[in-house]
Amino acid sequence: MARRKPKPSRLSDDPRWFQTSTFYEVMVRSFFDSNDDGMGDFRGLTQKLDYLQWLGVDCLWLVPFYQSPLRDGGYDISDYFNVLPEYGTIGDVAEFLEEAHHRGIRVIVDLVVNHTSDQHPWFQESRKSRTNDKADWYVWDDDPTRWSEARVIFLDTEPSNWTWDPVREQYFWHRFFSHQPDLNFDNPEVQEAMLGVLRFWLDLGMDGFRLDAVPYLYERDGTNGENLKETHEFLKRLRKEIDSSYPNKVLLAEANQWPADVVEYFGDDGDECHMCFHFPVMPRMFMAARREQRTPITEILAQTPSIPDGCQWGIFLRNHDELTLEMVTDEERDYMYGEYAKDPRMKLNLGIRRRLFPLLDNNERLVELFHGLLFSLPGSPILYYGDEIGMGDNIYLGDRDGVRTPMQWSPDRNGGFSRADFERMYLPPIMDPVYGFQVVNVESQLRDPSSFLHWVQRMIEVRKQHCQVFGLGTFDVVHCENPSVLAFVRQFTDPETGATDRVLCANNLSRFAQPAELHMATYEGLVPHELLGRVTFPRIGELPYFITLPPHGFFWFQLCEEVDA
Amino acid sequence: MIDEATLFEQLADELPEQRWFGARRVDGLERLSELDGKLLQAIVRGDDGARYQAVLGMRDDGALVDATTDHDLALLLFALAMPDEAVTKVRPLGAEQSNTSLVFDERLVFKLFRRLADGPNPDVEVTRALADVGFEHVIAPIGLWRDDGGDYAVVNELMLSATDGWQAALTSLRDLYDRRCPPEEAPGDFGFEAERLGAVTAQLHVALADAFPVETADVESWIADMESQLARVDLPSAVARRARNVYDALRDVDPGPAIRIHGDLHLGQTLRADAGWYVLDFEGEPNRPLDERRRPSSPMRDVAGMVRSFHYAAQVVRREVGGAEDVELAVLGDAWERHNAERFLAGYDGYEEADRVLPPAEARHVVRRAFELDKAVYEVGYEQGHRPDWVDIPLVAVGRLLEEAG
Repeated sequence: MARRKPKPSRLSDDPRWFQTSTFYEVMVRSFFDSNDDGMGDFRGLTQKLDYLQWLGVDCLWLVPFYQSPLRDGGYDISDYFNVLPEYGTIGDVAEFLEEAHHRGIRVIVDLVVNHTSDQHPWFQESRKSRTNDKADWYVWDDDPTRWSEARVIFLDTEPSNWTWDPVREQYFWHRFFSHQPDLNFDNPEVQEAMLGVLRFWLDLGMDGFRLDAVPYLYERDGTNGENLKETHEFLKRLRKEIDSSYPNKVLLAEANQWPADVVEYFGDDGDECHMCFHFPVMPRMFMAARREQRTPITEILAQTPSIPDGCQWGIFLRNHDELTLEMVTDEERDYMYGEYAKDPRMKLNLGIRRRLFPLLDNNERLVELFHGLLFSLPGSPILYYGDEIGMGDNIYLGDRDGVRTPMQWSPDRNGGFSRADFERMYLPPIMDPVYGFQVVNVESQLRDPSSFLHWVQRMIEVRKQHCQVFGLGTFDVVHCENPSVLAFVRQFTDPETGATDRVLCANNLSRFAQPAELHMATYEGLVPHELLGRVTFPRIGELPYFITLPPHGFFWFQLCEEVDA
Repeated sequence: MIDEATLFEQLADELPEQRWFGARRVDGLERLSELDGKLLQAIVRGDDGARYQAVLGMRDDGALVDATTDHDLALLLFALAMPDEAVTKVRPLGAEQSNTSLVFDERLVFKLFRRLADGPNPDVEVTRALADVGFEHVIAPIGLWRDDGGDYAVVNELMLSATDGWQAALTSLRDLYDRRCPPEEAPGDFGFEAERLGAVTAQLHVALADAFPVETADVESWIADMESQLARVDLPSAVARRARNVYDALRDVDPGPAIRIHGDLHLGQTLRADAGWYVLDFEGEPNRPLDERRRPSSPMRDVAGMVRSFHYAAQVVRREVGGAEDVELAVLGDAWERHNAERFLAGYDGYEEADRVLPPAEARHVVRRAFELDKAVYEVGYEQGHRPDWVDIPLVAVGRLLEEAG
């Protein structure tokens, strides 16, 4: 292949880009098939970058595309330095990164550091004997009752965190599936090997990593094996290595814990991960909408500690995993099951596997409200592919595949995703009469100016215009007697220019129209400008500011200083 | 400075117009104090025998006005309770009957007591004592204006995101009447919250028993109070006779101890904040004398008040949605009330530490029923006098309680 001239990168030189970015989670396998084999690939993803640029997202998050036996959607890695052949080559990844950067889009990838596939050569060697070179690369023991305080995460399939290996005649430790043995991070060689993996992908141009399952790296007697101090020490080391050689990169931790525990992954002075997921915000949003009351949301935000300077939360409505319910109490979990997963097949582990639209009964107003919250609550929003057109799910597919079906590009064969025979498709596209690709697809929605896709694109654009206040601003609840109304002001003062941007967000969590008397005395004299239409509203006076919110409606107002006409 | 006679004339003229002034006319000026040079505190006695407080100040235009109605005077008033706290904005907190509350800078609530107690204000007394024993579900004052003569005003923090328990219940009911499904299956189910509220109420009673003296129940005086209440209300004699049987049943059981109680507990006196439920307003029923309000009584009286409030909530929203003729809504409303009262009681009884301040389990429903009936009888009298259209709500409750008692 003749090497052409590389395209210039259009990325900003800003180490804190992630604080003001909109993320988009996508699977190589599910986005676009360039070679008609029924499975998406890197060249296909590259071809769709123009679409993603138009949509306005700043950073793509790719789930694992490494060599893998695919027994856990690629989270079971058997070679960290190679791409699954069906997805393409390392060269395809390099070209994809170059094209993305040329469009101002960054890319981060999932990296599983806790464990590998049992097919990984490291494990194959480790299991051979108790004395080989890699004998201590995994966690082996003769006693399967050790560390019984550690909970079993995949309750449905795994009876224990220990599995017997008949070859080595010992038990190996695994916090997830029994085909995913945990690496032994007490071994310095393992730490070195993992740092080598990070360097390899950063050298190729990757902009960072979403670190999968970070709380479980170490095991210690008498503990539940989560959030141990040794884990934090390793993360600090990782961060230091990256900062010293690779500017403007990001580490995003997946620690499915309460916010008070998750903040530890930012480090004491922001010296561990740049970003962490804020898991409980999402189930609380669902609860608030069902109860039509704001308390579930304000409650969890009040319980969220502040984070170090230079860090950011990642918030999302849905992702490739099930709707996580670990963050709610037992009674609330029962309640969420009852409400959202009336069919028992929808339950999996401790979660619910639905896409956003079916989860919200195909109620577009409610979906819009959820996006309004996602884009305005503190944190960087992370969208899930297909949700921008309102894709549905297929709960009859195994495991979590029901929400990982092909992206729906057009009403053509296989939804325009692939020209392969239908039988070759990695998963059947959604074809039901409500969410099927003949109805729900990018092409039709691009043609329809009032489509949901255009609405999402517009929201991302508006958020981008105010990305500092939404990304970095303070969050202050505005007092309002109506329990269905959640109103708050985000405020940010640019340290360089001294200019202050203030946005008032008023949300109606009820399906009925609601009056809202907002107590805004501290903002007296400011004039609200509605952010989508720039319509000027009456000035805020001494009296409560009165607005009427339509069912599930929300408004964003920029609060501006009054200028003399 | 203004002379006392002119001032008295102005007060006699203006106070009877105020909602917080419970008497018909001003009988006398009891005390006049100059405060801070610019404000005047006037304590008057009404023809109902109660003492009322007004704080006046000179407006820029020279008029002598109620200090709570003027921005600059209100700031001076605030400084009496919190001299070191800088505030700039003020607004009224909305309609209130017995006191006047102002919100400063959308974060502090200043409450000026209007009807003065002959001693410490019970709300201040109780919230401070509860905070001292470590009970976290009250809003303890952070500023106080008082002298040897009593308490005049308090400052509390404004809970910005908190929701009034009454409003929260109404939201649940609007959802229910629209969906028409069993209340425990409705998305807007209030049951979880009712249960938490029950637990907080039980914790409250334990804390009150820790903070104030615990006494032996004086069942005879309880029954006497209930009977005199009954005598004031117009009810058929057969109903009154059966009611007396319910009260008399108190003599046959162990009524449990008498403790300091809230005295006027209902959903409107609760606040669901981000840290859980809060109980507000320990002033008791303001129309009753102070020593009576402070007298220990049965915690079942508070429980009865809350249970009655679930009934009212269900019926108020049913009227709001115009469901008087709709049998299905009547069934749903009753189911909502039953479900939430059950969850509230489950939360209350589930807090086992409270057993030491409660009647024994087998006597609890007898005691609760007597207080519930007493409350419903009081409501009948109130509705007869104020809202005759609503009288069927407590009447239904009276009928139900009598039937239950057999």
